[in-house]
Amino acid sequence: MAFLPFWGREWPVRFWELEKMRNHMETVYNALAGGINQIRRNYTGVFPLVNITEDDNSLFLTAELPGLVADQLEVSIKGDTLTLKGTKTAEKAEENVNYHRRERETGTFSRSLTLPLKVKAEEVEARFKNGVLTITLPKAAEAKAHQITVQAQ
Amino acid sequence: MTQPNTQELNPREKRPLDTGSAESTSTSPKFSPQVDIWENDKGLTVVADMPGVSAEGLSIDLNENVLTIHGQVEIPFPGRRIISQEFEVGDFYRQFKLSEEIDQEAINAVIRDGVLTVNLPKLAPAQPRKITVVSA
Repeated sequence: MAFLPFWGREWPVRFWELEKMRNHMETVYNALAGGINQIRRNYTGVFPLVNITEDDNSLFLTAELPGLVADQLEVSIKGDTLTLKGTKTAEKAEENVNYHRRERETGTFSRSLTLPLKVKAEEVEARFKNGVLTITLPKAAEAKAHQITVQAQ
Repeated sequence: MTQPNTQELNPREKRPLDTGSAESTSTSPKFSPQVDIWENDKGLTVVADMPGVSAEGLSIDLNENVLTIHGQVEIPFPGRRIISQEFEVGDFYRQFKLSEEIDQEAINAVIRDGVLTVNLPKLAPAQPRKITVVSA
């Protein structure tokens, strides 16, 4: 996101001051936001938030969905688009209760994301454990890295 | 269950644990879970979203009217390369000060699909005791 510093002669001196100020503000902001700032970079604003990791053979997608049950969750894949859909329902409270806190949200969600590489759609596995959804997506052969042996001559 | 809610969910960033003036000595992030708390004349119920916490990783403690819930989360898959990260993974920790007298023996807790439910039944109110004053 950083402004490219422009050291050329055409850059008027007054903008220089602005640039310096902006850099300073960014430093302060980063210091305040700490680690969270790093994550915001990928923040899409669509529920659920997902993390994507990989190893040599597969991509792994994880999402935190506490309170969902597996049959309220729909995972589909079409081409390189993966879609997550579901509904989060409220815990049933007893009759005549007074709420002290109500922070947990309920509702529906639907999110599509484009996978960064080709996967074997028919071998995709989704598991839901302790409120965390993990989807394992085996990489297609053409997406895997090939080790090339360098031969000495 | 309750009435269906068709409202669309919005993502919320996890709330980092507020340690007050005390600094944390550990570098791994800790979060404050989102909770619902309700009460009726029988007791208090605390429901907390703690994804990734299993029954083994959970500790609940009530000490001098302070309820502490702590859920340990295993950092998943060390060694995998991160392609994109939208949320952080870390333990959950939160404390509540309870005003009611709780029957400590009858507390029960269940964790299912990353949702912790703690039932804290109230102690039966002390019966008023009439004291007869006898004249000497």
